[in-house]
Amino acid sequence: MRILLVEDDPDLSRQLKLALADAGYAVDHAADGEEAHFLGDTEPYDAIVLDLGLPKLDGVSVLEKWRKANVATPVLILTARGAWSEKVAGFDAGADDYLTKPFHTEELLARLRALLRRAAGHAAPALVCGALRLDPRAARASVNGEPLRLTSLEYRLLHYLMMHQGRVISRTELVEHLYDQDFDRDSNTIEVFIGRLRKKIGADRIETVRGLGYRLAPLQGETAEA
Amino acid sequence: MRSRRLRPPAIGSRSLVRRLIWLASAWSLLVLAVTSVAVTAFFYAGVISRFDQGLRELAEGLFAGASVDETGAVSAPPLTDARALRVYSGRYWEIAELRDGRLHALERSRSLWDSELPGPAADRLTLGATVKYDTRGPLKEPLRAVALVRSLPGRQAPVVFVTAEDRTPIDRDVRSFGLRAAGLLVLLGAGLVAMVIIQVRVGLKPLFDLRREVVAVRQGRAERVQREYPTELAPLAQELNALVAHNQEVVERQRTHVGNLAHALKTPLSVMLAEAGRHSGELSEVVARQAEAMRQQVERHLRRARAAARSQGSRDRTLVEPALEELARTLERIFEIRGVMIDWTAPSDLAFQGERQDLLEMVGNVMENACKWCRREVWVEAEAVSDRRLRLTVEDDGPGLPAERRGEALERGARLDESAPGSGLGLSIVDELVRAYGGAMQFGESARGGLKVEIELPRA
Repeated sequence: MRILLVEDDPDLSRQLKLALADAGYAVDHAADGEEAHFLGDTEPYDAIVLDLGLPKLDGVSVLEKWRKANVATPVLILTARGAWSEKVAGFDAGADDYLTKPFHTEELLARLRALLRRAAGHAAPALVCGALRLDPRAARASVNGEPLRLTSLEYRLLHYLMMHQGRVISRTELVEHLYDQDFDRDSNTIEVFIGRLRKKIGADRIETVRGLGYRLAPLQGETAEA
Repeated sequence: MRSRRLRPPAIGSRSLVRRLIWLASAWSLLVLAVTSVAVTAFFYAGVISRFDQGLRELAEGLFAGASVDETGAVSAPPLTDARALRVYSGRYWEIAELRDGRLHALERSRSLWDSELPGPAADRLTLGATVKYDTRGPLKEPLRAVALVRSLPGRQAPVVFVTAEDRTPIDRDVRSFGLRAAGLLVLLGAGLVAMVIIQVRVGLKPLFDLRREVVAVRQGRAERVQREYPTELAPLAQELNALVAHNQEVVERQRTHVGNLAHALKTPLSVMLAEAGRHSGELSEVVARQAEAMRQQVERHLRRARAAARSQGSRDRTLVEPALEELARTLERIFEIRGVMIDWTAPSDLAFQGERQDLLEMVGNVMENACKWCRREVWVEAEAVSDRRLRLTVEDDGPGLPAERRGEALERGARLDESAPGSGLGLSIVDELVRAYGGAMQFGESARGGLKVEIELPRA
């Protein structure tokens, strides 16, 4: 397992490098945003530990650049700023987990393990429908390269529609696939989620087929492969 | 949110409205009073001069027609004035001579019977003079009199021709004129005062509008003063906006400074904690304990600085729905490995009166807590309770919290289960913030099995 550690504080870098190496990871280290961006963009890491306060280019910008370039590597953010508004911004930029300083090294290692396990779970290739792209490995979707901000239900809904693009899918089928068995759902709630999803990806991408269900298709003029 | 009702200020002692109304009314009333007195005086002068004219003509007639015989006795001309014949009719004449400073009647009208007309002060009776004066008649009625002092051929001493008439009718006329004039002017005055009041209210309306807008800014319903104001008020409105902007900037800068300091300490603290964790022994233990104490201090002061900034700063309006969406999205990702689902609803126009980051902090911590403890699902519902309050309810399907332990959940640093991740500060932070906003937080039992947390907050 190869990890990129991005941290500008020399003491913390040294400690974390040691701890990560002790845990059996191969560790590369970057001390500023530009170097981090280059390494993350070119090397196939299994996970990245990213500090947000970096010289040259800040962590959030680095992360956004990676995600725009479809770098799907799981990223764990390290930051001194633990307010929810900052966490939301971090996750929206494309983070997979978030650890607030000061932290215990064991907690970092535990989070990293969870992240790697999760990434291994979604090993499927990316799905594409016109300008819409969904990457199951990172559990992320984008339109024209712009990341979409989806809730987990919206993501699952889009995932299912994309796996079956071009086909009409009934509401009942969607309900069965989106919820576990022990959830008793009214199929009307699907309409609400379709509505929210349309707002985010563009209303015309999901067609309502009266009495039958919904169909996802590329917009006219878009090719199936983006 | 409906604010306290704003009226134009009551006319109180320090009121600009009152001052303007007073000044304008006092001046109009003074002008009107002077006018009424003057008009009455002019009317009186006109009437009395015509009255005097009649008396004088009668006296001139007496003088012209009077004859003196060889003994020196004066006889009056035969007059046809019927009123002068009837006793005490109110019209009198007398021909007298001036002797020893007094008038001695030579001839008089029949109407005088045997009384005499009082003359004017003797020193005014010089030869050739025409004296107009007021006196009393035989019945003590007020008289207007004219006396001519002339010399007659054949008599050495000057002769005085006096004519007089009861002035009661003209006094009555003048009085009734005065009353009517005063009445009219009082009406006019009332109209003027009413006009002044209307003018002041209408004229000062932009000022009341401005005040209403400033209140809206303070309450966070508006970001700045927006209306177009008249030339005199426009600079004030601009200055107010500049002040609001400056205030926000200062608050923001202060917050940034404190934040930077606190955050700058966190990396060294991480290093100390990590270093202490890698070694064992007394030194490591002390360092670890102290680093932890420092971390708590930093958190506390960071929050306190933010609370201070909050109480100074203007209050924003934050829509609840997008905040819930952001938090749900973020938390579902954080708890993705456990497959936590967050089901949230909020009216799209519901807004919290306060800052976005504070709303995220309060709801985020409660939702995170619910996500930690839930089995699979978390429900979040936002609703309006009244015009001024909104309620956020967060429920989960976890094991819940027995009533007797709910108080502990708010204690700083308390962790009800050491096995669940987190610093344990979450809910006490929420409680502190909710209180700062004048809200309330309470725990209950969810129908879905787990804990139910309700937060009431000001609504915008």
